[in-house]
Amino acid sequence: MSKLTFTLNGKPAEASAGETILDAAKAAGFFIPTFCHREDLKPFASCFVCAVEVEGRRSLVPSCSTEVAEGMVVNTENERVKGARKTCLDLLLSDHVGDCLGPCMTSCPAGIDIPGFVSHIAKGEDQESLKLIVDNMPLAGCLGRVCTRPCEEACRRQLVEEPIAICQLKRFAADQAIANGEEVEPAKLPGIGKKVAVVGAGPSGLAAAHFLLMFGIDCTVFDAHEAPGGMIRYGIPSYRLPRDIIDGEVAVIEKLGAEFKYNTRLGQDITLEQLREEYDAVFLGLGAQKASGMRTPGEDLPGVESGIEFLGKVSRDETLPIGNNVIVVGGGNTAIDAARTALRMGADEVTLVYRRAREQMPAWAEEIDAALDEGVKLQTLAAPVKIEQAGDQLEMTCIRMELGEPDASGRRRPMPVEGSEFTMTVDNIIAAIGQNVDATMAPGLELTSWGSIDANEQTGQTSVEDVFSGGDCVTGADIAVNAVAAGRRAAFAINQFLQGEAVVGDPKGYNHSMGALDEVPADVPAAFEKNNRVPMPHLDAGQRAKTFEEVETGFTEELARAEAARCMECGCRDAHECSLRDFATRYDARADRFGGDRREYRRDDSHAVLVYEEHKCIQCGTCVRVCDELLKSPCLGFAGRGFEARIKPALDRAMVLIGDEDLPSLAEYCPVGALTLKTDPVATLEPEAFLNTKED
Amino acid sequence: MSEALKVSVGMSTCNMAAGSEALFQTLEKEVPDAELSIMGCLGQCHAEPQIRVTASDGQDYLYHSVNPAKLKKIISDHLQGGTPVDAWLFDGSKGSGAELMQKQQRIVLRNCGEVNPENIEEYLSRGGYAALEKVLKESDPAAVCETVLASGLRGRGGAGFPTGLKWKFALAEDKPKKYVVCNADEGDPGAFMDRSTLESDPHAVLEGMAIQAFATGANEGYIYCRAEYPLAIARLEIAIAQAEAKGLLGKNILGTDFCLDLHIKAGAGAFVCGEETALMASIEGERGMPRLRPPFPAQSGLFGKPTTINNVETLASVPWVIGNGAEAYSAIGTEKSKGTKVFALAGKIKRGGLVEVPMGITLREVVEEVGGGTGSHRKVKAVQMGGPSGGCIPESLLDTRIDYDEVSSTGAIMGSGGMIVLDDTTCMVDVARYFLDFTQKESCGKCTFCRIGTRRMLEVLTRICEGNGVPEDIQTLEELAVQIKDTSLCGLGQTAPNPVLTTLRYFREEYEEHINDKKCRAGKCKALCGFEIADNCTGCTVCARKCPVDAITGVVKGMHLIDQDKCIQCGVCRDVCKFDAVKVI
Repeated sequence: MSKLTFTLNGKPAEASAGETILDAAKAAGFFIPTFCHREDLKPFASCFVCAVEVEGRRSLVPSCSTEVAEGMVVNTENERVKGARKTCLDLLLSDHVGDCLGPCMTSCPAGIDIPGFVSHIAKGEDQESLKLIVDNMPLAGCLGRVCTRPCEEACRRQLVEEPIAICQLKRFAADQAIANGEEVEPAKLPGIGKKVAVVGAGPSGLAAAHFLLMFGIDCTVFDAHEAPGGMIRYGIPSYRLPRDIIDGEVAVIEKLGAEFKYNTRLGQDITLEQLREEYDAVFLGLGAQKASGMRTPGEDLPGVESGIEFLGKVSRDETLPIGNNVIVVGGGNTAIDAARTALRMGADEVTLVYRRAREQMPAWAEEIDAALDEGVKLQTLAAPVKIEQAGDQLEMTCIRMELGEPDASGRRRPMPVEGSEFTMTVDNIIAAIGQNVDATMAPGLELTSWGSIDANEQTGQTSVEDVFSGGDCVTGADIAVNAVAAGRRAAFAINQFLQGEAVVGDPKGYNHSMGALDEVPADVPAAFEKNNRVPMPHLDAGQRAKTFEEVETGFTEELARAEAARCMECGCRDAHECSLRDFATRYDARADRFGGDRREYRRDDSHAVLVYEEHKCIQCGTCVRVCDELLKSPCLGFAGRGFEARIKPALDRAMVLIGDEDLPSLAEYCPVGALTLKTDPVATLEPEAFLNTKED
Repeated sequence: MSEALKVSVGMSTCNMAAGSEALFQTLEKEVPDAELSIMGCLGQCHAEPQIRVTASDGQDYLYHSVNPAKLKKIISDHLQGGTPVDAWLFDGSKGSGAELMQKQQRIVLRNCGEVNPENIEEYLSRGGYAALEKVLKESDPAAVCETVLASGLRGRGGAGFPTGLKWKFALAEDKPKKYVVCNADEGDPGAFMDRSTLESDPHAVLEGMAIQAFATGANEGYIYCRAEYPLAIARLEIAIAQAEAKGLLGKNILGTDFCLDLHIKAGAGAFVCGEETALMASIEGERGMPRLRPPFPAQSGLFGKPTTINNVETLASVPWVIGNGAEAYSAIGTEKSKGTKVFALAGKIKRGGLVEVPMGITLREVVEEVGGGTGSHRKVKAVQMGGPSGGCIPESLLDTRIDYDEVSSTGAIMGSGGMIVLDDTTCMVDVARYFLDFTQKESCGKCTFCRIGTRRMLEVLTRICEGNGVPEDIQTLEELAVQIKDTSLCGLGQTAPNPVLTTLRYFREEYEEHINDKKCRAGKCKALCGFEIADNCTGCTVCARKCPVDAITGVVKGMHLIDQDKCIQCGVCRDVCKFDAVKVI
């Protein structure tokens, strides 16, 4: 066959007579996206994402159905073409209703495959469940107890009644492995001959070490304390997180190959310079361990200490003496932990003093309830003014507060009520006001105005290219799961750095969402019957308040299966094959560039094997043509005009009525998740998870 | 009783809407001796219904704006008394009649309003079907194509492709089966020359189609006419039957080997079906959705056969071109735009209706002379040309000549000939929004940009008109407009952004005022304007009486005042004020 010569992106190229620009460009190694074009169907030219520029033509042309002509000058990659491509995708996304991944998964900082692991538990596959969790979260048992659960805040099930107990199910998966004596053995890639120093054995450092080891990078973990865990050991009491859970999960990391050096303080026993010389890269997970002061006269008196000091001491020795009467100042989780710990240490009366109202307390509501159940007293709208020695005891003068206008954080600002001072006489005062970063032990790094380490959000890379950092020392005191996520991202970035690749961390693909809870179409929750969340079994308040025994006793198998079965399986069956998602990632498309109306949610699962989700359809017409041209059955067609044009079963009937044994192939042809097979699972784990890619 | 007379009543849809059927019935009853006939539309929408009285000596008396009371006097004075009522007669030789007619040159509309459209004899008596006979007996297809090409006739549907060239392409296809199609889908709101032609002179179109079929080698044809034109369809059916009975259509036309079967296909009224590939899909029984060209219809059209598609106005011109010769036709017009063009004059215009003018005269001549200007104290602000796919040409460019290329250079298009005159009470953002609302609803929904992009543009325009515009909106509109034009399969999407682009080009400051100053100078966008009465108020009280919410107070001969709390910004006070005392604030 004769060859045509033409110019493609500035270079000479060849094509056969009758060959389309799309095919010729593909053969020459250029990527052109398309939704509507299929080799076994007649050209249609509807999506226009494949549009390219042909010199001399006023408009762009659809490359899927424009044949190459002799001497044609074609551009498939210039700004005009790329701009149109991105707009095309932005427009399609603006009228696309659905989720790629469930909101739980996208709101989990660590990116745990939540619908995936929950579904495993529902099916009784606890080991698979844990494996899936550990792919993103090495501290499943720990975080399964102490995580603040951003995933549950996003959980759609609360539109039916209450969110799924995601966190407690995660703990269940971890506990099952212990109960059954199964060991988690994360896969490990061959060594690359590099070593990294990880400073800090807290959540971020442990996560960084875990993933670095999985990448085949040797790790030494240094920590100033005598045991691992950082804040989850020294800031969280054992009745919430038993120490053997921490030790067990650290043992897995040790087994992966980490060397732990405890009682080794950065800036004292080792210096950053030394580590940089001895190791190929350094990860700093220093935490935020410096307690904030109350800025109250008398706070240096004996008997006054910070929450973090107190919890740290108790964590080393639970039999330390404490007075009968204890005040804890603060409203966060550390304050609650300190108060409940004080009770367990033997204090008769523990009072929490907080300057705003209960509703404004940053601590977890369930923890506040548990503390009150155990007998902790709450003195809200009061702030310490001064502390004085009163014989053996301490006298704290407080002033009553009232709430004024909202401040920068949106919470109403507490204002002192003049002349309302009152005093309390106690034995101990614990100030759990907050913690700061002390980065002086790592000189040479650029810091933020808050004094924390300035590191790239996606990679953790600091101003010194071989030093990475993450966790509280970068963000300031924050939740543990964010620290784990930061450690994981940094491990990806360090691996890239050591392999000489672009340092990008673990970039996420485009994710489409139906939006916030109040934007979710009412039909979504309406498809589920009410079935309340399974409550977590726990020790009675009377029984637990004086011991350090774990309060929450964990789900039984029966409870866990029942709870897991409540999952709505949000997310799209096609998320990993979806062309729209793929192209949106490639061209950095966004759904919010254009606001405006979007299509209605219409899910038709009346068919035996297919689900048709009209709200996800991009109108490319592929299914219609498959019906017409391949199946010779006019079962789907276009209806309506303009923005309201839709693809519908013939005569607007339900899908059930179009039943045909060939129809399942429609799901394969649909470039998005509008037509899917009921047998396909809702997409969960990213197939591009790093181990899979690396093994290729 | 005076001499026997012929009385023709305008019975086009427009005349009937103006009340001509009742006049016809009155005449039937009151003047049984007169020869009562019907006629089509003369294009004088501003002066309908019309009645023509033809005296036995052949003298015509054309009465305009006839109503039952006037008819009574016409019957008594003229039909029974023999004295025409001069005051109500239309005279094309003087006064406003002359203004209307002087610059017109009627080729397409040559028989409209002159013949009874339901009687082939009247068409024949004015030289009808002579052109068909001429080509069948004296010419061959190639020569006909050459003649039409030489005449310079270009497609009147809007795109302006040379008709002769289109025919040559189809003729060059060596296929046994070919089709001809008449595009009578006329989807532009505001354009009605095709309807009027079909209702008033259907044989001109049929003769044009027969010549088209002969020239391209087709033996079957379709007239795709929107179902909203029932009268046009009825008259076409009558005309086809009459022509077949006379051997002018059907088998062995005029005794030659040439055969042509014509069918009428009633379209369901989708705007996009005026696009030729969608139109053919619709005839085939498919959803009216455009497809990519090439292949062009001349190669693979209706049912995959070579097909020639021409618009009504083009086809109605063809017998004239053949009858008078290519040179006569090409003598009219500019270098690249030959012959005449029919415009549907509407909007703020004194003499609205259909006018046919030679190419090359200026828009100003059409608007101000033929149309008589706005008919009020207000000035022309712009002329919207080409329907929803067209654009707005500002007053400053009214000296642009009627010529495909010159009109295109303004950003508007000749289109099918809609011409809407706008005055300063028209908000240009609102106009763009109005047309885009139409096109986005009429998109077939196939191409992404046209389906979703036009909707997003409409949402931005609506936001601006409602006072919620943001400065970035103009850029968003411009970006989307360019990309939608760049990436749509058919003319609908490729031209849909034109109203926005031309208003942005010539009236950008109005967009900026809406967005930045939250003001609509035209007093159209309710969220962005108010009205007040200036001190030239004469106290005539009309505004106070017309105000639907009684927001205006004032005594006779005293200054009036608008209560801003009650005012709903409807603008009625401004519309009714004869002294221009109501101002937009």
